[in-house]
Amino acid sequence: MAAHSRDPLTHPEVRQATTGGYAAGYGVSVILMLGALLITQQHVLAYPTFLWLISSLVVLSLFSQAALFFGLGLSPVQAWKSVSLILALPLFVFTIGLSVWMFNSLYPRTMPAMNMNTSQPTLLQ
Amino acid sequence: MAIPTHETSHATPDSVLWQPEVEAHDDLAARTLGFWLYMMSDALLFAGLFAAYGVLDHAYNTAGGPGARQIVHPLDGFWQTLAVMTSVFAFSLATVAMKMRSRPGVILYTSIALVLGLVFIGLEIADFRALIAQGAGPDRSGFLSAFFVLIATHGLHMVFGILWMLVMIVQVARSGFTEHIVARLLNLRLFWQFQASVWVCVYAFVYLRGAF
Repeated sequence: MAAHSRDPLTHPEVRQATTGGYAAGYGVSVILMLGALLITQQHVLAYPTFLWLISSLVVLSLFSQAALFFGLGLSPVQAWKSVSLILALPLFVFTIGLSVWMFNSLYPRTMPAMNMNTSQPTLLQ
Repeated sequence: MAIPTHETSHATPDSVLWQPEVEAHDDLAARTLGFWLYMMSDALLFAGLFAAYGVLDHAYNTAGGPGARQIVHPLDGFWQTLAVMTSVFAFSLATVAMKMRSRPGVILYTSIALVLGLVFIGLEIADFRALIAQGAGPDRSGFLSAFFVLIATHGLHMVFGILWMLVMIVQVARSGFTEHIVARLLNLRLFWQFQASVWVCVYAFVYLRGAF
């Protein structure tokens, strides 16, 4: 095939690699996780606020990696990867969210004799 | 009635991507998209493990043993975060070197990424050994089983990535940038960057949330 005879290093997915983009993705991800670590170590936030803040930092970090590491976007080369990721995201949310939600009330209903005063909140509490 | 024919003269790599044996078939793009779809299914494996961890991370499932707060150390986890992120950055730079047609550059940056991957694995093994020595092994409770399986599954991915890098260093040194090798390097870049994305979730929801 003609495509095989072309220089593979001229392919758009090879040409998309840039030092600046990767450095930005690395810097943003490390700074966001450092911020999450500092928030955790201060122990000043209520649990729901803490969880929302940490989750927001994770989402921002994943967005930056999707754009700056994976180079996802609407370009013809990357469009189908972006579409498949967007279609897969609800599956992650359903798998994790519904599992935790379903089991959240199981313990109080099935093990009433046990002490409910747990020292650590669950994901939904 | 006229029989429709393929107008390959007006074809673009996108319009004919799925037609075999046509002039503009983009083999590299097909390979990376195929591998990307595999990674989406791999991500669902992690979703299942996160779901199990979310369910079992409850005082009822510690069986009198330690809970997350007693076993996770956010600062130690941050060093692992730094190791995996820097490793991913180094391998990403290896693909910049590939774009520049630099074999020594690819080998150098891949070697750096490989060493940092080994540092990550070393830190994880040390963490596991310390927990097991304290009697907090994976067989101690349902919670610890979920903890070990989630962390170790990510670690196993890292090990396979390191082995893949070793193979690529040899192949690049021996054969240079053939189409097959370029496709493998592009897929390895996707795989290695994916490990950083998974680790961000592990670090935040296991190490940081566990320490609250």
